[in-house]
Order: sequence, then C-alpha cells, then structure tokens
Amino acid sequence: MGIIKYIKLYFRLVSAGVRAQMQYRFAFIMRIVGMITAYTGTAVTMWVMLYQFQQLGSWNFYEMLFLFAFSILSWGFCIILFFHFRSLDTYILNGTFDRFLVRPIHPFFHFMAMKFDVASFGQFIFSIFVFIWVSGVLDIGWNVEKFLFLIAATIGGVLIQGGLLVMISAIAFWTTKSEQFYWVAMYPARNLTYYPLVIYPKVIQWIIAFVIPFGFVNYFPVSVILDKDVPFFPSYIGYLSPLVGVIFFTIAYFIWMFGLNHYKSTGS
Amino acid sequence: MLKMYMTFTKKAFIRAGAYRFEVWSRLFSNLIFLLMWSSIWTALYAGNDEAGGVSFQAMLTYIVVSQFLSGINGAGTPLWEIQEKVRTGDISLELMRPFDVPTRYLFADFGSVAFYMITALLPVYVVLFFIFDLSLPSTMHTWIFFIISALLGFLIRYCIELSFGLLTFWLVETGGVEDIFYFSVSLLSGSVIPLWFFPSWLETIAMYLPFQGIYFIPNAIFVGEITGSDLYLSLGVQFFWVLICFAILRLIWRKAANKVVVQGG
Repeated sequence: MGIIKYIKLYFRLVSAGVRAQMQYRFAFIMRIVGMITAYTGTAVTMWVMLYQFQQLGSWNFYEMLFLFAFSILSWGFCIILFFHFRSLDTYILNGTFDRFLVRPIHPFFHFMAMKFDVASFGQFIFSIFVFIWVSGVLDIGWNVEKFLFLIAATIGGVLIQGGLLVMISAIAFWTTKSEQFYWVAMYPARNLTYYPLVIYPKVIQWIIAFVIPFGFVNYFPVSVILDKDVPFFPSYIGYLSPLVGVIFFTIAYFIWMFGLNHYKSTGS
Repeated sequence: MLKMYMTFTKKAFIRAGAYRFEVWSRLFSNLIFLLMWSSIWTALYAGNDEAGGVSFQAMLTYIVVSQFLSGINGAGTPLWEIQEKVRTGDISLELMRPFDVPTRYLFADFGSVAFYMITALLPVYVVLFFIFDLSLPSTMHTWIFFIISALLGFLIRYCIELSFGLLTFWLVETGGVEDIFYFSVSLLSGSVIPLWFFPSWLETIAMYLPFQGIYFIPNAIFVGEITGSDLYLSLGVQFFWVLICFAILRLIWRKAANKVVVQGG
C-alpha cells in the first residue's frame, strides 16, 4: 500500500474514533476541564513557590511557566497520537491485539491509528494561553525563525515522548506488562522536566539528557528561545531537539517491531 | 467487632505481599519525587543557610518527612479505585454484607499501608536520614506528638479522599472534581511548600482548611517549628478536622447507600 493510501486510511480510522468520542459530549468537556484544572494547579504551585524566593536556579516564574507549557504542548500531540500505546498490555491479555495482526495493514500503523484522543484540547488551550501571556511579559521577540524553531522543537518533543511510550508498550510483548511501566518511569520523568534541569544533580541531568532524552522536550529548546544558559551542556544543544526526536523514535519503532516478532498470543 | 475488621487488615497485608512489583514501582516513583522536591528546595535556598527564619537543614528534613508521609498516605485505596468500585457497582455488593463499608476500607488500608511501610518505606528512609544531614527530633516528647499528628493526618486524608470518591454516585464524570482534590492535597496541605512560605492571604485560607492537618502540622512538629503549647493546639485542630471530615463522610455515605437502595441496586 502506498503512503498516500495510508494517510487517507489514517484519517478514516481517526474520524470514526472522534465521532465515537463525541457521543459522550459531557464526558469530553469534563475531561478538558479536568486537565486545565490540573495544569493550572501546577502553575499555581510554581507561583507560590517563587512568591518569596523569586528565582529557581536563575529561572523566574514566567520563564518556568513557559518551560512547563512547552512540555504540555508537545504532550498534547503525544496524547492524540501515542498515549494509548501504554495500554498495549490490556490488548495482549484480552487477546484483542491479535486482530491487528490479521488485517492487511501494517500492525504498528494500525495500532497507532486505532485511537485518537481528542480530549487533549485541554493541553492546547492551557499551553497556548500561557504562551500568549508569557510572551507579553518576557518580551520574547517572536520572529519567523523562532516560530519555526518552536514548531520543529515541538515535533521533536512529540517524537521523544511518543518514542518512550512506544518503547514502554513494547515491554508488553515480553512481559505482558506496560501500563505500570508508564507510571513508574515516564510519569515521574515528565514531572522532573516541569522544572529547569539545572537544579538537579549532574548525574540526573546527564540521564535526562542522554538516556531518557526528555531534556530535549523542553529544557534545551526553551533555553534557546529564552536565551538562557544551560550549564554543563554546549549552548547549541537545544537545536538538536528535532534530530534527537527522529533518532529516538526510529529506535523505538525498531524495538517495537522486534518485540512484535517475538510476540506469541496469550491464546485467550 | 474489632476482631472482624482486623481480619480485613490482615488480609490486605497478605495481599499487598503478593504484589511485589507494585511495592517497588511505588517506592521508585516516591523517591523520584523526593529527588525532585529536595533539588527544588536546594536551588531555592541557593546556598543560604536560612530563609525566612527556617534553616536549610530543617527545610530539607521537612521535605523528606513529607515525602515519607505521602508514601504512607498513597499506599491505601486510591481515589480512582474508589470511583471504579462505584462505577462498576462493586460497592453496592458490599452493602449486603454485615459490615460498615467505610470502616472496612479503612481497616483494609491499615493492612496495605503497614506492609508498604515495613518492607519499603521505613528501611529506605532510615538510610536516607543517615546519608543526608537531616535533623531528628531530640526529645521523645516530639516523637510522640509527631506520630499522633501523622496518624490524625492520615485519618483526615482518608475521610476526604473517600468522600470525594463517593461523589461518583452523583457525578457520572468526575474530571474536574478529582483534580481539585489532588490540587488541594498537594498545595494547601503544605506537602511540598510549607505554609510559612505562602503569601499571607493564602496562608490564612490554608489555616482555615482541613488539608494542612494532613502534612503541614506533622512535618512542622517533626522539624521543631511547632513547639510548646502550640503542640496541643495543633493536635486539637487536627482532631477537630477529623471529627468534621468524618461527619461529612458519614453523611455522604448514608445518602449514597440510600441512593443504591432507591435504584434497587
């Protein structure tokens, strides 16, 4: 099947999913409200934290808010595209994963297109609101280059976080467990990156930069946009974000395919 | 009567032992959050020995104790599980049995909390206290007040969390509601930022709410920020909130139980 056909198919599958979700309109709106409440809660916590201290490792409240919102923006796209990967274990245990293997479509693609979580509007509303507000306060000086970089870095961030979700889901092929690994590894890692990495011990900074490359999701690119120092790292490191995303996601894809070849149905 | 409820505690203790992976993963993420908050406070103090009259050592101890207590509070039945029990109707099956459901859940929580505390939290946090230069209470007196205060905090949190969970009987979608709960328990309880660093208007609000009884009071007692006659006052405040929250829980529970009967299960 050609790539055009795949894209057409993706939108067909997705629009079916969206229509299904819109049947529960109240649930849909409440989830968005819930998301915005939760993120606002974190933002308020940051504000209270800096009320007396003004600065966290040379970052002020607005810079930190920008850093936080940047992470939430790419996470919003990530939820749409990849968030359901974490529950691959449920599909395997119930035996419903097998249907992805018997159809004449690429199984990775099919699994990815199966769900399209529209509730991530909450993430978009929150992050775009923060961008507009903070841009006014911090005098960021948006121009075409900066804006293009923002888009490229967001794509990088989506690929890095999506890549980790894909890797976590691949664990299920061997152990029939994946959702728990999301809550053990990815959820805390995401929380760490809500704050500037410079505050952590060097070992942790190094791990978040090169092992689970979440530093490239927000800290490094935001440092470029806001013109902040990144101690212990070369100043150009933020520009590598899209590249890191592509490489990390490719690795994740191959691990997933490798796991798929290893997979034997549970026979349930 | 008590013997029957203690059986639930024992069962929960044994059941927790069967989920070894859960225990390790929970401990791991607890320690990641400890790393996060201790790094944040180290950076906020920025090398100063004290800020706002509180020493850096006391602040670090505050965070470590807080993280320990949040490990304990998080080891019981989580909010989403209560909501799930209401949605699936599991909870109505329990109504037919000859015990009081909120009490049974509380005693079951004692079991899972005890297992998690003995096998994971206590050993790790004892080591942490030795590795890092943290301040331990110097008198037996303070230790006793801390333990009572932490226990009262646990009961306050339990009553509030179960009450929020039972709201699922009326609300089909609990999106915004549970996030308000998590926000209140994390910020207004002083679990990550002590109330004395709040803007004064917010501190006043927090002082009049039950959440400070969950983390702020026990933490502050541990690091010696609450002393003398204030100790009795603080425990009195906590005790007051336990009674109020318990009364609210009973009220919600009675309404919820009636609702089930009206719908015929």
